[in-house]
Amino acid sequence: MSDNKKWFSLDLSSPKKQSTGSCGCGKTSGGCGSHTNDQISDEDFDAAVDAAIGEERKKDGFDQVFDVKMDRRTAFRQLTASLMIGAGAVSTSCSVTTGENTKEKAQIDWEEQFKGNYKLMTDEERNATVERLVRSYQLRKKKNINMSSQNAEKDVLFGYAFNISKCQGYMDCVSACVEENNQDRNSQMQYIRIHEMKDGKGLKFDEADDNYYHEVPAEGHFYMGTQCFHCDNPPCVDVCPVQATWREDDGLVVIDYDWCVGCRYCMAACPYDGRRFNWSTPKVPENEINKNQHYLGNRMRKKGVMEKCTFCVQRSRAGKNPACVDACPTGARIFGNLLDPKSTIRWVLENKKVFRLKEDLGTEPKFWYFMD
Amino acid sequence: MNKHILYILTCVFFCLFTLCSCKHGEGEYHNITDKIEAESKNYHGTSISSESLLEGIHTIEITEGKHTFLIPERKSKITSYACTECHSKPLSDMQNTEEAKKAHWDIKLTHADLNTMNCITCHNGADMNNLQSLTGSSIDFNRSYKLCSQCHSRQFEDWKGGAHGKKVAGWAPPRASMTCVNCHNPHKPGFETRWPSSYNTQKIKERE
Repeated sequence: MSDNKKWFSLDLSSPKKQSTGSCGCGKTSGGCGSHTNDQISDEDFDAAVDAAIGEERKKDGFDQVFDVKMDRRTAFRQLTASLMIGAGAVSTSCSVTTGENTKEKAQIDWEEQFKGNYKLMTDEERNATVERLVRSYQLRKKKNINMSSQNAEKDVLFGYAFNISKCQGYMDCVSACVEENNQDRNSQMQYIRIHEMKDGKGLKFDEADDNYYHEVPAEGHFYMGTQCFHCDNPPCVDVCPVQATWREDDGLVVIDYDWCVGCRYCMAACPYDGRRFNWSTPKVPENEINKNQHYLGNRMRKKGVMEKCTFCVQRSRAGKNPACVDACPTGARIFGNLLDPKSTIRWVLENKKVFRLKEDLGTEPKFWYFMD
Repeated sequence: MNKHILYILTCVFFCLFTLCSCKHGEGEYHNITDKIEAESKNYHGTSISSESLLEGIHTIEITEGKHTFLIPERKSKITSYACTECHSKPLSDMQNTEEAKKAHWDIKLTHADLNTMNCITCHNGADMNNLQSLTGSSIDFNRSYKLCSQCHSRQFEDWKGGAHGKKVAGWAPPRASMTCVNCHNPHKPGFETRWPSSYNTQKIKERE
């Protein structure tokens, strides 16, 4: 591990390893027939162990385990690394039964397991992890997806406005959001909630119905949508113990699903109920999966991680409107660049009577409400 | 002497306190409005553009007041335009004749009441290819918003600014906004009640 990579590498199928490896027959997959057992050579094994535990191997027994100064992260890494070498690498690197695909899968899983925080990655590292995820999906599902790691654009700050007088409660935004963002169909996770409120009672979220099913608009009611407000001073980001969530330069508050430990502190810290948790592995029928994905956006999540609205980062950074904005039949949703003085969102902020929810908390949401 | 040191120390602490207390999580700005104002001062546009999204959509550029933007072209979308291909004779000659083709028979005007509006509020029997304003001047079908804005002036202001209506493609410039008739049927402009497109049965279970 002399290079500056932020995770361990184990090149199971690199050409160099193949030519100098234990197998002299030159075959790249399967077995050559000359092996009597499933073990890698001493030389390779030593190198791998060196990579994993390095210095500690000179010590012995009890000392090796307990008499070492390291932080928890390093300890966990090294322990897992050793285990992986024992269980994974040995069985896959030179097995007679495993094929090229299995090796590649193991290689990808290895790299993915020990990759760094997306926020700290260089552009090359970001591209690399996206390539690995695409390849991994290809190997597992035999389908191609398109994943982007596009960064925030300079001079862009995304903002959103919601017209309370226009929303009719059709919930087209909700279903468009679920489809666009590959949300779990089993638990029916939804980022957007539309609150049906009584006229003349003010904004009473505790008395509002956010799961109505009758003909809309219902008489004597108005509708108000909430979702992640992409606060400029987001409390969810402050409480994250592992910095798996942060605010991007274009104002989007995003999550690295691979770094999230699922503690749900952010869920508790959000004053707007903008965050959702995956209690089970999200399930989306294969033909309904949106294959136009972004690393920070709608790529498939796993069990035990947080997710939320990203203003459809996969769309917005490509110049498109978020799916909810496009789906709204009433034009109640307005999206744009707050830094562009000629943008429509700026006109709304400057010419309509806008307000935000819980402004006194100082969270500075970039999601304004207004009326005709 | 001691008093002097104490005085200086107090001053230093006070300065430090004021400096620290003004610090917010959002960085150098006090609030988002300040941030938007400061950071958009030197705005020179971005590389993100809607042009590729607008490809294949026929638009025309309009300028209304301070606003210049694109709207979808309309005439090519009207199935039987030009109207004069059928309306070759005055209306009175075409009505009540047995050999005449029935057309527009299904249009019922549900827009304001009959005291305020009827067909000729917008259409001109003598010039079927164009619309007409309240004072009788001609309005092109591509610029039908001019007709609507005669009464709906408040909506027109909001539409020009971008608070009313929808964009054709993305948020990025060039701005292309849908025009009135892209969402509203001019003969029946109101939105109908209907059932929501989504219902969360899981949420019901969770809340039981």
